[in-house]
Amino acid sequence: MISKTKFIGAVEIGTSKVSVLIGELTQGRTLHIIGVGECQSRGVIKGAVADFRAASDATHTALMAAEQSAGVRIDEVYLAQTGGHLEGFYNEAAVNVSAADNMVSALDIDTVCRLAKSKNLPEGRMVVHHLRRPYRLDGRLAPDPLHLVGQRLEAGYWTVHGPEGKIADNIHVIRGFNVRVAELILSSLASGAMLASPEDRQNGTLVIDIGAGTTDFVLYRDGSAQMTGVVPVGGGHLTNDLSLGLRLTEGQAEKLKLRFGRATLATKDRAEKVWLNGDFAIGDRQFSRHGIEQITSARIWEIFEVVKKKLGPAFSPEKTAAGVILTGGTAKLPGIDEAAAKVFGVQARLGEAPGWVAENLRDPGFSSVLGLLQYGLSSRAEAASAPRKGASWVSKLFATV
Amino acid sequence: MSQSSVNPPPSRTWRDIPQSVTPRAMSREGKKRFAMAVGNIVGMVLVLGAAGWGIYEVVGIWETNPTRITAAASGVPLKDIALRTDGVLDKAWVLRTLDLPKNATLMELNLADLHQRLMASGQVQSAVVTRKFPDLLIVTLQERSPVARVMAQIGGTSPQPLMVARDGSVYSGAGYASPLTEALPFIDGVKLLRQGEGFARIEGMEQVADLLGEAHTSTPELYRTFRIVSLARFAVDSTIVVKSTEVEAITFGLRADLPFARQLARLDYILDETRRQNPTGPLKAVNLAVGGNQVPVAFDTPAVTADGRAPRVSLKPSASSPSGTALFSLPPRSLSSSKRDF
Repeated sequence: MISKTKFIGAVEIGTSKVSVLIGELTQGRTLHIIGVGECQSRGVIKGAVADFRAASDATHTALMAAEQSAGVRIDEVYLAQTGGHLEGFYNEAAVNVSAADNMVSALDIDTVCRLAKSKNLPEGRMVVHHLRRPYRLDGRLAPDPLHLVGQRLEAGYWTVHGPEGKIADNIHVIRGFNVRVAELILSSLASGAMLASPEDRQNGTLVIDIGAGTTDFVLYRDGSAQMTGVVPVGGGHLTNDLSLGLRLTEGQAEKLKLRFGRATLATKDRAEKVWLNGDFAIGDRQFSRHGIEQITSARIWEIFEVVKKKLGPAFSPEKTAAGVILTGGTAKLPGIDEAAAKVFGVQARLGEAPGWVAENLRDPGFSSVLGLLQYGLSSRAEAASAPRKGASWVSKLFATV
Repeated sequence: MSQSSVNPPPSRTWRDIPQSVTPRAMSREGKKRFAMAVGNIVGMVLVLGAAGWGIYEVVGIWETNPTRITAAASGVPLKDIALRTDGVLDKAWVLRTLDLPKNATLMELNLADLHQRLMASGQVQSAVVTRKFPDLLIVTLQERSPVARVMAQIGGTSPQPLMVARDGSVYSGAGYASPLTEALPFIDGVKLLRQGEGFARIEGMEQVADLLGEAHTSTPELYRTFRIVSLARFAVDSTIVVKSTEVEAITFGLRADLPFARQLARLDYILDETRRQNPTGPLKAVNLAVGGNQVPVAFDTPAVTADGRAPRVSLKPSASSPSGTALFSLPPRSLSSSKRDF
């Protein structure tokens, strides 16, 4: 008997926290979020596992919390992947249509796709994603060129790759919980899947997910992802800057960031002071509000500038009509949309989860992990439409060992 | 284009990373899950093994000495019969009908045969016979209820009354109280056809049951006077003729616009008015199957009063009708003392 319900865990092992959602996937089509677990992250630096044991403990604690809240056991995991170790490149290929009547066949499409994906990777690196851009037939866009008539078929792939060791570390953290990793999904793609509507992707949009240790971005155009990237700078650096600049502990700096940090300068009065704790106890100190805003806004602007530089000529305001969508924990910083709009020269807004998402999961910090489930659901639907191979309850039983 | 450039070696993807993991590399929770998974497999193997061994043993015994299997199942003699019924049949009747052999065990009983014996009685509409181990036989019956009687002669014996159920089944009733059966009217005008050990079903009994049921409920005084229900004209003009102690022939029709309840109300009114006025003596026939607000009635004497005038209320002699017949006009509902809808 084939199981009709699957419990999928969406796991994001971030620099500051580990988030887990459990989705109940019924008949491969309907998804219900039934459990959530969170835990402060340990052993992860800039999205990469640095201390396997600490990272495993934190991740497994979050997994257990999610399983307890859902009351079920996870069957498989969709794992978010981020970190400065991930890189990407674009490669394209073209073939002459083989049929005498110039009608594109499945073989032509298969050939051009294989050629476009065939670029060798540096030693020790492996592919995380092949993101195909729309086909072109004789220079014109052809989302599905099968049976169209033309002479030259072109395909291009944005390939995301990373070092085998670091990718394997993330997978092994999950395998330590004795659950299989079914999908490895780039964090930025997950956030994009959640926040950018099909219209946004068609018109062109840039989704930026600013986490604690990294900033992930994905640029959409013509309905598909054109380019992705990871900047190893995030909200944690704002805290670090405040800590160094104002000579505070990390905890104190984090508190100041959350209370008074801004992405743009709003305080006109340079003499305005704010208290560290506000309780006037011993150790409570005053700081210039303008100074705090200067430090945080400078770093945010720097992050956006780095993203813009990484995008290079791929980004142009004219081709990004849907603007910039911001998400991630640091996106809660006041004025961040204003800063993004100024840097990128397009409108910017905070990403909003769709209406079906529960109130407690609408925080920008959950957009990646929600997107993992969304992405997983669509990949499941694609897999379901493909011919089945013998997946049975026996294989499911043995798959967990 | 060379073959190698068309079929380049695929790049390694994250899916090439082996996901096998040793318990040593697992966390405590991971090990727990691993142990549970192993336990599942071991449990499954044990269950399958036990099932396989059981099948092997049974097959082995069956091939070598089958009586051991039947003996194991048929060791305890039948102790009791539990009867569940919605009618009047009792346990004694069931025992008589089943005629079980003494000291029979549950497994020795042929349930299909017992079921057939129960169903041979027309009174039983459905029967379920189940074994309840170790020593109880459960008989669940659904019985037919009689709505009328019919006289039938079986073989050379004198005619005897049989029961007729709503579905037309004819059967000799058992267990009914005498006052109940004696109050049932007889069915007439039908030809009983033999079918196997019993009789074929009587057509039209459903309508008769509706009529009698309505009469029993809404006009019990009238129902008590019903003696014979004739189906002689049922197939010809869809009418049911009832002979009562008061009227020789009351004709009821199967009319959608005039249900039995209204026909009975008309009859009741006509009988009441006739008794009250007593213009012409007792009624001989009432035909409720025809007419609108006028009901043809027949009397033993002509439907005119002694002074040659028409009766005072509603009773209009028909000029063209034969002597002794009249049309009984029903009053509008607003003028009816009983406010009944005729």
